[in-house]
Amino acid sequence: MTDTDRSIEFVRPPRWAEALLRVVLPPDDAETVSGDLLEEYRDVVLRSRGRRRADVWFVGQVMGFVWRAAWWWGVIFAVLFLGRTALDWFLPPADFRTRSIITTYAAVGVFVVAGFGSAWRSRSIGAGAVAGIATAAIAAVLIAVGALALIAVKHDAQTLWAIEHSGGLGEVLVLPVFVAVPGTLLATLGGLAGKLLRGARAR
Amino acid sequence: MADSLGAFEQAVLLSIVRLGDEAYGRAILKEVQARLDRDVAAGAVHATLERLQTKGLIASRLGSGTPIRGGRARRFYRLQPAGLRALNEARAAIDSLWHGLKWPLKGLRFQHD
Repeated sequence: MTDTDRSIEFVRPPRWAEALLRVVLPPDDAETVSGDLLEEYRDVVLRSRGRRRADVWFVGQVMGFVWRAAWWWGVIFAVLFLGRTALDWFLPPADFRTRSIITTYAAVGVFVVAGFGSAWRSRSIGAGAVAGIATAAIAAVLIAVGALALIAVKHDAQTLWAIEHSGGLGEVLVLPVFVAVPGTLLATLGGLAGKLLRGARAR
Repeated sequence: MADSLGAFEQAVLLSIVRLGDEAYGRAILKEVQARLDRDVAAGAVHATLERLQTKGLIASRLGSGTPIRGGRARRFYRLQPAGLRALNEARAAIDSLWHGLKWPLKGLRFQHD
């Protein structure tokens, strides 16, 4: 074994990324998968790309796991939000209250279930929180793209009036970002329930 | 016919076949990348392995770690009888589709509007 080989064995990828990976994976997989990534990082990526780009590679791989844990919930939330937006713009009601109640409870449900499912699987409350953040982030991007697509499809005077009186395009683009904080809290609560129920089931 | 295997699932299963006793996570990832000749996310391979195991096509066991992976255990995978059947069925299906045609296809006439 060369000196380079010996020194590489002490190089670590970003610890926060390793910790994030362990949070989102089930306990049985956390060690083996993190070991696989570490092995690839040290054996190939570090040597070929250098430290900084190897760290970027590692973080990208971890984000892939986070994405796979939460993308479905992000899509569901985005569909819910865009569906409500399309109704408000194309079929504006006299009173938004009923729609607001329905979509608010539905959104709460999405985050709670996302957190519950993640924590049930990984047995970690942290996984619930991560699911909440990832769901909100994925949904925010999808909603922005979807909202612009809706306007591109239909932007007559009546629709523009409805957009303005339902909160405006700004609200549609910014609200998903603001939802991240309460959404993460809700997902964390869901995660707490998921972990507790999983633990009770195991006993 | 049982649930048909996707292309990526076949790639992962065939990698397990090729690697034999050395079919653990990272080795499978590298074999799939080499065969498909493109970068593959570790998460994609892991999700596929999990799905194949849930379907009963593969089984896994924990093995020893190595210094380069910080001593962390490796998970070794092996094909189950159901996985072998699924691979053979997938190959038979492809052969049936291509029966009578020569690969690579050449000289086809395309209809233009």
